[in-house]
Amino acid sequence: MDILAESTKILADILDIEGREITPETYLIRELGAESIDLLELSVAINSRFNIEVNDDELFLRTLRLHLRTAAGEGRDAVGYLAEKYPALTVVRIAEILADMGGGPVLRVKDILSYVAWHGKN
Amino acid sequence: MILNFHGKKALVLGGSCDLALTLAAAMMEAGIYPLLTFRNEEGQKKIAERLSPGGGSYGACYLDFGERDSLASLLAQGGDEIDFVVDFVQGDFEGYVAAADEARVYQYFNDNVSFRAELLKKVARIMVKRKKGRFVFISSVAAGRTNPGQGFYAAAKLASEALYRNLGLELGRKGITAVTLRPSYIRAGRGKAYLEAHGDEALRLVPTGRFLTESEVAETILFLLSESAGGFNATELTMDGGLTACK
Repeated sequence: MDILAESTKILADILDIEGREITPETYLIRELGAESIDLLELSVAINSRFNIEVNDDELFLRTLRLHLRTAAGEGRDAVGYLAEKYPALTVVRIAEILADMGGGPVLRVKDILSYVAWHGKN
Repeated sequence: MILNFHGKKALVLGGSCDLALTLAAAMMEAGIYPLLTFRNEEGQKKIAERLSPGGGSYGACYLDFGERDSLASLLAQGGDEIDFVVDFVQGDFEGYVAAADEARVYQYFNDNVSFRAELLKKVARIMVKRKKGRFVFISSVAAGRTNPGQGFYAAAKLASEALYRNLGLELGRKGITAVTLRPSYIRAGRGKAYLEAHGDEALRLVPTGRFLTESEVAETILFLLSESAGGFNATELTMDGGLTACK
Protein backbone atom coordinates (compact mmCIF):
# COMPACT_ATOMS: atom_id res chain seq x y z
CA MET A 1 0.00 0.00 0.00
CA ASP A 2 1.24 3.48 -0.85
CA ILE A 3 1.07 5.15 2.55
CA LEU A 4 1.84 8.60 1.17
CA ALA A 5 -0.87 8.45 -1.48
CA GLU A 6 -3.43 7.12 1.00
CA SER A 7 -2.49 9.66 3.66
CA THR A 8 -2.60 12.65 1.33
CA LYS A 9 -5.99 11.50 0.08
CA ILE A 10 -7.27 11.33 3.67
CA LEU A 11 -5.78 14.74 4.47
CA ALA A 12 -7.21 16.37 1.35
CA ASP A 13 -10.63 15.00 2.21
CA ILE A 14 -10.57 16.08 5.87
CA LEU A 15 -9.08 19.51 5.24
CA ASP A 16 -11.08 20.07 2.07
CA ILE A 17 -7.95 21.01 0.11
CA GLU A 18 -8.25 18.88 -2.98
CA GLY A 19 -5.74 19.79 -5.66
CA ARG A 20 -3.27 21.38 -3.27
CA GLU A 21 0.18 19.78 -3.27
CA ILE A 22 0.95 17.76 -0.17
CA THR A 23 4.44 16.31 0.23
CA PRO A 24 6.14 14.52 3.13
CA GLU A 25 7.71 17.86 4.08
CA THR A 26 4.39 19.72 4.37
CA TYR A 27 3.52 20.99 7.86
CA LEU A 28 0.03 19.93 8.94
CA ILE A 29 -0.70 22.85 11.22
CA ARG A 30 1.60 25.60 10.00
CA GLU A 31 0.84 25.15 6.31
CA LEU A 32 -2.37 23.18 5.98
CA GLY A 33 -4.08 24.86 8.93
CA ALA A 34 -5.19 21.61 10.54
CA GLU A 35 -7.13 22.20 13.76
CA SER A 36 -7.65 19.88 16.74
CA ILE A 37 -10.91 18.55 15.35
CA ASP A 38 -9.21 17.82 12.01
CA LEU A 39 -6.46 15.89 13.78
CA LEU A 40 -9.08 13.85 15.62
CA GLU A 41 -10.69 13.01 12.30
CA LEU A 42 -7.28 12.17 10.85
CA SER A 43 -6.57 9.83 13.74
CA VAL A 44 -9.89 8.04 13.24
CA ALA A 45 -9.28 7.76 9.48
CA ILE A 46 -5.76 6.37 9.98
CA ASN A 47 -7.05 3.83 12.47
CA SER A 48 -9.71 2.76 10.01
CA ARG A 49 -7.67 2.87 6.77
CA PHE A 50 -4.48 1.25 8.04
CA ASN A 51 -6.03 -0.85 10.79
CA ILE A 52 -3.63 0.30 13.49
CA GLU A 53 -4.28 1.44 17.05
CA VAL A 54 -3.59 5.15 17.24
CA ASN A 55 -2.30 7.07 20.23
CA ASP A 56 -3.19 10.66 19.36
CA ASP A 57 -0.62 12.19 21.71
CA GLU A 58 2.15 10.19 20.09
CA LEU A 59 0.94 10.52 16.51
CA PHE A 60 0.59 14.30 16.70
CA LEU A 61 3.61 14.89 18.98
CA ARG A 62 1.29 16.57 21.49
CA THR A 63 3.39 15.76 24.53
CA LEU A 64 6.67 16.85 22.97
CA ARG A 65 7.28 19.78 25.32
CA LEU A 66 6.22 17.76 28.35
CA HIS A 67 8.74 15.06 27.42
CA LEU A 68 11.44 17.69 26.96
CA ARG A 69 10.77 19.11 30.42
CA THR A 70 10.90 15.61 31.91
CA ALA A 71 14.16 14.83 30.09
CA ALA A 72 15.68 18.09 31.36
CA GLY A 73 14.45 17.38 34.89
CA GLU A 74 16.02 13.94 34.85
CA GLY A 75 19.24 15.19 33.25
CA ARG A 76 18.65 13.01 30.18
CA ASP A 77 19.75 13.70 26.63
CA ALA A 78 16.72 15.14 24.81
CA VAL A 79 17.19 13.25 21.54
CA GLY A 80 17.67 9.90 23.27
CA TYR A 81 14.69 10.51 25.54
CA LEU A 82 12.41 11.49 22.66
CA ALA A 83 13.57 8.48 20.64
CA GLU A 84 12.18 6.28 23.42
CA LYS A 85 8.88 8.15 23.47
CA TYR A 86 8.50 8.33 19.69
CA PRO A 87 9.84 5.03 18.39
CA ALA A 88 8.45 5.72 14.93
CA LEU A 89 10.75 8.73 14.46
CA THR A 90 14.40 8.49 13.50
CA VAL A 91 17.09 10.21 15.53
CA VAL A 92 17.77 12.49 12.57
CA ARG A 93 14.13 13.55 12.45
CA ILE A 94 14.04 14.17 16.20
CA ALA A 95 17.09 16.42 15.94
CA GLU A 96 15.39 18.27 13.10
CA ILE A 97 12.26 18.71 15.21
CA LEU A 98 14.26 20.13 18.12
CA ALA A 99 15.94 22.65 15.83
CA ASP A 100 12.60 23.64 14.32
CA MET A 101 10.53 24.20 17.47
CA GLY A 102 10.91 27.95 17.48
CA GLY A 103 8.99 28.20 14.23
CA GLY A 104 5.70 26.83 15.54
CA PRO A 105 4.02 23.40 15.46
CA VAL A 106 6.57 20.96 14.01
CA LEU A 107 4.28 18.17 12.83
CA ARG A 108 4.86 17.27 9.19
CA VAL A 109 3.21 14.77 6.88
CA LYS A 110 6.31 12.59 7.05
CA ASP A 111 5.76 12.13 10.79
CA ILE A 112 2.35 10.64 10.06
CA LEU A 113 3.88 8.38 7.42
CA SER A 114 6.57 7.21 9.86
CA TYR A 115 3.96 6.46 12.51
CA VAL A 116 1.83 4.43 10.12
CA ALA A 117 4.82 2.53 8.71
CA TRP A 118 6.28 1.77 12.16
CA HIS A 119 2.99 0.71 13.76
CA GLY A 120 2.06 -1.30 10.68
CA LYS A 121 5.22 -3.32 11.15
CA ASN A 122 5.07 -3.65 14.94
CA MET B 1 -41.52 17.05 12.66
CA ILE B 2 -38.86 14.73 11.26
CA LEU B 3 -39.27 11.42 13.07
CA ASN B 4 -37.84 9.10 10.47
CA PHE B 5 -35.87 6.48 12.37
CA HIS B 6 -36.09 3.58 9.97
CA GLY B 7 -32.89 1.50 9.80
CA LYS B 8 -31.13 3.31 12.66
CA LYS B 9 -29.25 1.54 15.40
CA ALA B 10 -29.21 2.67 19.03
CA LEU B 11 -26.90 1.60 21.81
CA VAL B 12 -28.96 1.67 25.02
CA LEU B 13 -26.63 1.63 28.02
CA GLY B 14 -28.19 0.29 31.20
CA GLY B 15 -30.73 -1.43 28.99
CA SER B 16 -32.41 -3.53 31.65
CA CYS B 17 -33.87 -0.68 33.68
CA ASP B 18 -37.63 -0.13 33.37
CA LEU B 19 -37.34 3.15 31.50
CA ALA B 20 -34.80 1.74 29.03
CA LEU B 21 -37.12 -1.16 28.29
CA THR B 22 -40.06 1.15 27.69
CA LEU B 23 -37.85 3.19 25.40
CA ALA B 24 -36.58 0.10 23.57
CA ALA B 25 -40.14 -1.02 22.83
CA ALA B 26 -40.93 2.45 21.46
CA MET B 27 -37.73 2.39 19.41
CA MET B 28 -38.60 -0.95 17.84
CA GLU B 29 -42.01 0.37 16.93
CA ALA B 30 -40.37 3.41 15.33
CA GLY B 31 -37.95 1.32 13.25
CA ILE B 32 -34.84 1.66 15.43
CA TYR B 33 -32.79 -1.43 16.26
CA PRO B 34 -31.88 -1.14 19.96
CA LEU B 35 -28.79 -2.89 21.31
CA LEU B 36 -29.35 -3.01 25.07
CA THR B 37 -26.63 -3.63 27.61
CA PHE B 38 -27.06 -5.63 30.80
CA ARG B 39 -24.62 -6.35 33.59
CA ASN B 40 -25.96 -9.59 35.04
CA GLU B 41 -28.13 -12.57 34.25
CA GLU B 42 -31.14 -10.97 35.90
CA GLY B 43 -30.89 -7.99 33.57
CA GLN B 44 -30.47 -10.21 30.55
CA LYS B 45 -33.58 -12.17 31.53
CA LYS B 46 -35.60 -9.01 32.14
CA ILE B 47 -34.75 -7.69 28.67
CA ALA B 48 -35.82 -10.96 27.06
CA GLU B 49 -39.06 -11.12 29.05
CA ARG B 50 -40.06 -7.58 28.17
CA LEU B 51 -38.99 -7.39 24.53
CA SER B 52 -39.17 -10.89 23.07
CA PRO B 53 -42.99 -11.20 23.15
CA GLY B 54 -43.27 -8.14 20.89
CA GLY B 55 -41.49 -10.01 18.14
CA GLY B 56 -39.41 -7.01 17.12
CA SER B 57 -35.73 -6.99 16.38
CA TYR B 58 -33.31 -6.05 19.17
CA GLY B 59 -29.94 -7.10 20.57
CA ALA B 60 -28.60 -7.52 24.09
CA CYS B 61 -24.99 -7.47 25.20
CA TYR B 62 -23.12 -7.74 28.49
CA LEU B 63 -21.49 -4.52 29.72
CA ASP B 64 -20.33 -3.79 33.23
CA PHE B 65 -19.19 -0.21 33.81
CA GLY B 66 -15.70 -0.51 35.19
CA GLU B 67 -14.90 -3.76 33.42
CA ARG B 68 -12.92 -2.72 30.39
CA ASP B 69 -12.98 -6.13 28.69
CA SER B 70 -16.75 -5.96 28.54
CA LEU B 71 -16.49 -2.68 26.63
CA ALA B 72 -14.27 -4.27 23.98
CA SER B 73 -16.73 -7.08 23.39
CA LEU B 74 -19.68 -4.68 23.31
CA LEU B 75 -17.99 -2.59 20.61
CA ALA B 76 -17.17 -5.72 18.64
CA GLN B 77 -20.85 -6.65 18.74
CA GLY B 78 -22.08 -3.10 18.14
CA GLY B 79 -20.07 -2.84 14.95
CA ASP B 80 -19.43 0.38 13.08
CA GLU B 81 -23.01 1.45 12.70
CA ILE B 82 -24.11 3.12 15.90
CA ASP B 83 -26.42 6.05 15.16
CA PHE B 84 -27.60 6.80 18.69
CA VAL B 85 -26.47 6.30 22.26
CA VAL B 86 -28.93 6.57 25.14
CA ASP B 87 -27.18 6.25 28.48
CA PHE B 88 -29.15 5.25 31.59
CA VAL B 89 -26.24 3.82 33.57
CA GLN B 90 -25.64 5.08 37.08
CA GLY B 91 -24.39 3.19 40.08
CA ASP B 92 -26.00 3.72 43.48
CA PHE B 93 -24.07 5.50 46.18
CA GLU B 94 -25.84 7.06 49.13
CA GLY B 95 -23.77 8.45 51.91
CA TYR B 96 -22.58 11.63 53.52
CA VAL B 97 -19.41 13.15 52.07
CA ALA B 98 -17.93 13.25 55.55
CA ALA B 99 -18.71 9.59 56.16
CA ALA B 100 -17.96 7.83 52.89
CA ASP B 101 -15.52 4.98 52.57
CA GLU B 102 -12.57 6.26 50.52
CA ALA B 103 -11.97 3.05 48.56
CA ARG B 104 -15.60 3.00 47.55
CA VAL B 105 -15.39 6.63 46.44
CA TYR B 106 -12.43 5.90 44.14
CA GLN B 107 -14.17 2.87 42.71
CA TYR B 108 -17.42 4.75 42.19
CA PHE B 109 -15.84 7.51 40.14
CA ASN B 110 -13.72 5.03 38.23
CA ASP B 111 -16.83 3.07 37.24
CA ASN B 112 -19.24 5.94 36.66
CA VAL B 113 -17.00 8.64 35.23
CA SER B 114 -13.65 7.28 33.96
CA PHE B 115 -15.15 4.21 32.35
CA ARG B 116 -17.87 6.34 30.79
CA ALA B 117 -15.19 8.66 29.36
CA GLU B 118 -13.47 5.70 27.71
CA LEU B 119 -16.73 4.41 26.30
CA LEU B 120 -17.67 7.84 24.94
CA LYS B 121 -14.27 8.25 23.32
CA LYS B 122 -14.58 4.93 21.52
CA VAL B 123 -18.17 5.37 20.39
CA ALA B 124 -17.54 8.99 19.37
CA ARG B 125 -14.70 7.84 17.13
CA ILE B 126 -17.07 5.41 15.40
CA MET B 127 -19.45 8.31 14.86
CA VAL B 128 -16.68 10.61 13.61
CA LYS B 129 -15.94 8.06 10.93
CA ARG B 130 -19.60 8.10 9.89
CA LYS B 131 -19.88 11.90 10.32
CA LYS B 132 -23.11 11.57 12.27
CA GLY B 133 -24.37 10.51 15.66
CA ARG B 134 -26.50 11.54 18.58
CA PHE B 135 -26.00 11.03 22.30
CA VAL B 136 -28.70 11.37 24.94
CA PHE B 137 -27.57 11.10 28.53
CA ILE B 138 -30.24 10.44 31.13
CA SER B 139 -29.23 12.38 34.19
CA SER B 140 -31.46 13.47 37.04
CA VAL B 141 -32.74 16.64 38.67
CA ALA B 142 -30.64 15.45 41.62
CA ALA B 143 -27.57 16.49 39.62
CA GLY B 144 -28.55 20.12 40.21
CA ARG B 145 -30.50 19.89 43.48
CA THR B 146 -29.33 17.24 45.83
CA ASN B 147 -30.56 15.95 49.14
CA PRO B 148 -28.19 15.02 51.95
CA GLY B 149 -26.51 11.74 51.07
CA GLN B 150 -26.67 12.30 47.31
CA GLY B 151 -23.35 14.10 46.92
CA PHE B 152 -21.49 11.33 45.15
CA TYR B 153 -24.43 10.45 42.94
CA ALA B 154 -24.77 14.10 41.92
CA ALA B 155 -21.03 14.55 41.43
CA ALA B 156 -20.87 11.56 39.06
CA LYS B 157 -23.93 12.78 37.19
CA LEU B 158 -22.52 16.30 36.83
CA ALA B 159 -19.14 14.98 35.67
CA SER B 160 -20.87 12.77 33.12
CA GLU B 161 -23.04 15.66 31.95
CA ALA B 162 -19.86 17.63 31.37
CA LEU B 163 -18.40 14.84 29.24
CA TYR B 164 -21.53 14.74 27.09
CA ARG B 165 -21.69 18.53 26.85
CA ASN B 166 -18.13 18.65 25.59
CA LEU B 167 -18.74 15.89 23.07
CA GLY B 168 -21.50 18.03 21.63
CA LEU B 169 -19.44 21.19 21.46
CA GLU B 170 -16.29 19.51 20.19
CA LEU B 171 -17.93 17.34 17.53
CA GLY B 172 -21.01 19.35 16.59
CA ARG B 173 -19.34 20.53 13.39
CA LYS B 174 -18.81 16.88 12.43
CA GLY B 175 -22.49 16.04 12.74
CA ILE B 176 -22.31 14.57 16.23
CA THR B 177 -24.42 16.10 18.95
CA ALA B 178 -25.27 15.39 22.57
CA VAL B 179 -27.95 16.40 25.00
CA THR B 180 -28.68 15.58 28.62
CA LEU B 181 -32.17 15.01 29.98
CA ARG B 182 -32.77 15.52 33.69
CA PRO B 183 -36.05 13.85 34.60
CA SER B 184 -37.47 14.05 38.10
CA TYR B 185 -39.78 11.65 39.90
CA ILE B 186 -40.82 8.65 37.82
CA ARG B 187 -42.67 5.66 39.22
CA ALA B 188 -40.02 3.31 37.86
CA GLY B 189 -36.62 1.91 38.77
CA ARG B 190 -35.06 3.30 41.92
CA GLY B 191 -37.63 6.13 41.92
CA LYS B 192 -40.46 3.68 42.52
CA ALA B 193 -39.33 2.61 45.97
CA TYR B 194 -38.70 6.21 46.97
CA LEU B 195 -42.15 7.33 45.85
CA GLU B 196 -43.81 4.46 47.66
CA ALA B 197 -42.27 5.74 50.88
CA HIS B 198 -42.41 9.51 50.28
CA GLY B 199 -44.90 9.90 47.43
CA ASP B 200 -47.41 12.24 49.10
CA GLU B 201 -44.72 14.53 50.39
CA ALA B 202 -42.95 14.62 46.98
CA LEU B 203 -46.18 15.21 45.09
CA ARG B 204 -46.90 18.40 47.06
CA LEU B 205 -43.68 19.87 45.63
CA VAL B 206 -44.53 19.29 41.97
CA PRO B 207 -46.50 22.18 40.40
CA THR B 208 -48.20 19.88 37.87
CA GLY B 209 -49.46 17.74 40.75
CA ARG B 210 -48.32 14.49 39.18
CA PHE B 211 -45.23 12.39 38.62
CA LEU B 212 -43.73 11.61 35.22
CA THR B 213 -44.72 8.43 33.45
CA GLU B 214 -42.27 6.07 31.83
CA SER B 215 -43.94 6.41 28.45
CA GLU B 216 -43.80 10.22 28.38
CA VAL B 217 -40.11 10.19 29.26
CA ALA B 218 -39.47 7.52 26.60
CA GLU B 219 -41.36 9.61 24.03
CA THR B 220 -39.30 12.66 24.99
CA ILE B 221 -36.09 10.68 24.50
CA LEU B 222 -37.29 9.54 21.08
CA PHE B 223 -37.98 13.15 20.18
CA LEU B 224 -34.50 14.11 21.37
CA LEU B 225 -33.08 11.49 19.00
CA SER B 226 -34.98 12.92 16.07
CA GLU B 227 -33.60 15.34 13.51
CA SER B 228 -36.11 17.92 14.69
CA ALA B 229 -34.40 18.04 18.08
CA GLY B 230 -30.88 18.43 16.63
CA GLY B 231 -30.75 22.04 17.83
CA PHE B 232 -30.58 20.81 21.41
CA ASN B 233 -26.86 20.30 21.68
CA ALA B 234 -24.33 20.53 24.50
CA THR B 235 -27.02 21.38 27.00
CA GLU B 236 -29.14 19.95 29.80
CA LEU B 237 -32.93 19.83 29.69
CA THR B 238 -34.93 19.53 32.88
CA MET B 239 -38.16 17.52 32.77
CA ASP B 240 -39.68 17.84 36.21
CA GLY B 241 -43.13 19.37 35.98
CA GLY B 242 -41.70 22.58 37.45
CA LEU B 243 -40.30 20.93 40.59
CA THR B 244 -36.91 22.63 40.60
CA ALA B 245 -38.34 26.05 39.70
CA CYS B 246 -40.01 26.23 43.11
CA LYS B 247 -38.55 27.88 46.13
